[in-house]
Amino acid sequence: MSTLHPGAAPATTTAATSGAPAPDDPAARSTTSFFATMLTQTLIVLRKDLLLEWRSRSRLVSVVLFGVVTLLLFSFAVGPDVRALREGTAGFLVLALLLSSTLGLAESFRLEQEQDAVEGLLLLPIEPVALFYGKALGNTIFLSLLAPILIPVALVLYSVEPAWSDFLRLFGLWLLTAAGLSAPGTLYSAMTSQLRSQDVLLPLLLFPLVVPVLLGAVKALDLVLTGDAMGQLGSWTIMLLAFNLIYWSLCGIVFPRAIEAS
Amino acid sequence: MTLRASGLGRRFGKHWALARVDLEVAAGEVVLLAGANGSGKTTLLRLVAGLVRPTKGTVSICGIDPQRQPLESRRKLSMISHQAYLYPRLTALETTRIWARLLGLPASDVDLLPMLEEVGLGGRHNESVAGFSAGMKKRLAFIRTRLEKPRLVLLDEPFSALDAAGRRMVEGWIDGFRRSGTSVLLASHTLARAARLADRGILLQQGQVAWRGKAEEVAARLEAASA
Amino acid sequence: MIERLKWHHFVGLLGLAIVVAGTWIGLFVAPAERHMGDVMRIMYVHVPSAWSALLCFTFVFVAAVASLWTSRKRWDAYMTGGIEVGCVLTALLLVQGSIWARATWGVWWDWDVRLTTSLVMLLLFCGVLALRSFIEEANRRATWSAIAAIVAFVDVPLVYFCVRWWRSLHQIQSSPETVNSAMVLPLRLNAVAFLLIAIWMIAIRARIELARLQAEDAPEPEPLAIEER
Repeated sequence: MSTLHPGAAPATTTAATSGAPAPDDPAARSTTSFFATMLTQTLIVLRKDLLLEWRSRSRLVSVVLFGVVTLLLFSFAVGPDVRALREGTAGFLVLALLLSSTLGLAESFRLEQEQDAVEGLLLLPIEPVALFYGKALGNTIFLSLLAPILIPVALVLYSVEPAWSDFLRLFGLWLLTAAGLSAPGTLYSAMTSQLRSQDVLLPLLLFPLVVPVLLGAVKALDLVLTGDAMGQLGSWTIMLLAFNLIYWSLCGIVFPRAIEAS
Repeated sequence: MTLRASGLGRRFGKHWALARVDLEVAAGEVVLLAGANGSGKTTLLRLVAGLVRPTKGTVSICGIDPQRQPLESRRKLSMISHQAYLYPRLTALETTRIWARLLGLPASDVDLLPMLEEVGLGGRHNESVAGFSAGMKKRLAFIRTRLEKPRLVLLDEPFSALDAAGRRMVEGWIDGFRRSGTSVLLASHTLARAARLADRGILLQQGQVAWRGKAEEVAARLEAASA
Repeated sequence: MIERLKWHHFVGLLGLAIVVAGTWIGLFVAPAERHMGDVMRIMYVHVPSAWSALLCFTFVFVAAVASLWTSRKRWDAYMTGGIEVGCVLTALLLVQGSIWARATWGVWWDWDVRLTTSLVMLLLFCGVLALRSFIEEANRRATWSAIAAIVAFVDVPLVYFCVRWWRSLHQIQSSPETVNSAMVLPLRLNAVAFLLIAIWMIAIRARIELARLQAEDAPEPEPLAIEER
C-alpha cells in the first residue's frame, strides 16, 4: 500500500478482501458488474445500518416498549369486552406496527450523521439505488424484530390462542407488512429528514399510502387467528406480495431523484 | 484541466451567493480561495463537490459534468470540510472499513491499520468517533481522501480547530497532493500559512471573483478589500 | 403560451354555461328515479365530480412525470394546479356521496369502495400539498412533490382494488349503474361542463404559480471589476 503518494494507482484487490470491482476498471462497465456492485453496496449499507442499530440497541427496546404501550391503549379504548378485543387483535397488531414504524423510519436517516445527514451520503460513491435498498432492508429487519415481543403480548392481552403452527404464518405476514411499510417509508424518510416537522410529514405522507398493506395485513392476520373457513389467506398474501413488489420497484426508481443535490 | 468552472452562479432565494465565477485548476496545482465570511468560498466548494446544483454556469471535473454523471465526477474528487460526515457510534477502524468496502478496496485490518497509524490514530482505532476531537476527525476524514485517490481535493478551512502539530500535518498532506499531481482547491482564513502552499490565489467578494494572482499577494489584497 | 392567451376564460365560461343548462335539465326536466325519487338527482353533480377528479389526478401524474423529466417550472405549476383542483373536486365528491348515503342508506358514511378510496385519494394528494408547503427551495419542491404525486397516483388503483376486495366480504351496497336515457343528457352535459371548469381552474392556478416562481427569480448581480496579475 503506497503511503506517500495519495494520487497513485489503486492497489490491486484480492478477491477475499475486496468489495465491489475497482470503479475505474473498464470491466466494471458491464451489466453483471453493475449489478454485482449494486448488490455489494446494498449489503455494505445494510451491514452498516445493522451495526449502528446494534450500537444504539436501547432505541430498539424503546420502540418495542412503545408498541406494547399502544397495544395496552387499544384495550383501554375498547374496554373489557373480551370478544371485541379478540376480534380486533389483528387490527390492533397492525396499528401497533404502523405507529412503531414511524419512530423507526424517522430515525433511519437521522442516524446517518450528525448534521445534514443526506449530504454526507452525496459525497460517498454509493449508488443511490443501493443506498435505498440497503436502508429499506435495514428498516424491514428493524420492524421485524418487534414481532417476537408484540405478537405474544397481543395474544396474551386479548386472550387469543392460535395453534403453534400459526406462529410461523403470523411472523411471515408481519415480515411482509414490515416490508410493505419500509419501502415507501424509507423514501419519505429520506425526504422529510431534511425538512422541519418531519414528525408530522412522515406519517401524513405514509399512512394513506400504505392503506392496502394495512387492510391486507389485518385481513390476513385475522384469518390466521380466527380461522380461514373459505381459504382466502392465499389471496390476501398475494395482495401483500403484489403491493410489496410494486412499491419496492417504484420507490427504488424514484429514490435517486429524492436524494440528489438541489 | 482538472477543474473547469465557467459562469458559475448559485442563488438562494433572491440572494446570489455566487455569481459569474470562472475558474480553472490544472493537475497538481494548489489554488487558494480567499475572502471574507459570506463571500462565497464555501458555496463554490460545495458547487464543485456536487453537493449543490448551480443556478447558472457549468462545472467540469476532469471533463465530467457532475449533473450528468454524478457518481463518476464524485469519484474524481474528495472533500474535507468542517463537517466531518462521520458516524459517531462507529469506531475509527469500522468507519475506515466501510469506506474501503464502498470504494472496492481491500478492507482487512492488515490493509487499514497502517493508514490509521500514519495519521496518528493507530492507538485509537477501536474508539468511537463520538469521542474524537475536531482534529482527530479531520485525520480520519483524510484517510477517506487517501482511499478515494481523487484528482481534485477540496479543502474548506483545513487548518481550523487544529493545533500546531495538526496544522503541520495538513501542510504535509497538501504538499503530498501536489507532488502526486492531485489538484487542490483550498479555502482558508489563515492566509499566511495557506499562501505558502498555494501556487495561485483568488479573492472572492460578494460571491464574485474580485482578484486573481499570486498566492503571496492574497493577504494584502484581502486587507485592501476590507479596508 | 399560458401567459399570453386567455383561452382558459373562454373555456371556463363555456363550462359554466353548460353546467347551468345541464343542472337545469337534471333538476327540472329529467324524470325522478323510480326507487329513490328526487335524491337521485345528486348524481348529476356527483358523477361528473368523480370523473373530473380522476381526470385531474391523471393529468397530475403526467405533469409530475414531465416535471421530473424536463425540470421545467411550467410542469410544476400545472401539477400544482391539478392537485389543488383535484382535491377540491374530491372533497366535493365526498360531501355529495355522504349526502346520498344519508338519504338512501340512512348513514352519513358507509365503507363503500368508492367513498373509502376517494377519501384515501384526498388524503394522499393533500399530503403532497402539505409536503410542498414545507419546502422553500423551488427545485427541490418541484422534484419532491412530483415524486410524491407519482407515488400517490400509483397507489389510487391499488387502494381501489384492495378496498373492493375487502368490501366484498361484507355486503355490497349497489348503486344504480343502468341509467335511463333521459338522464344521460344532463349527465353528459355536466360531465363535459365540470371538465371544462376544472381545466379553467387549473389554468388559473397554474398561471398564479408560474408567476410566483418567476417572481422568485432575481437577476445576476452586476460584475465586479477584476484585477488580474
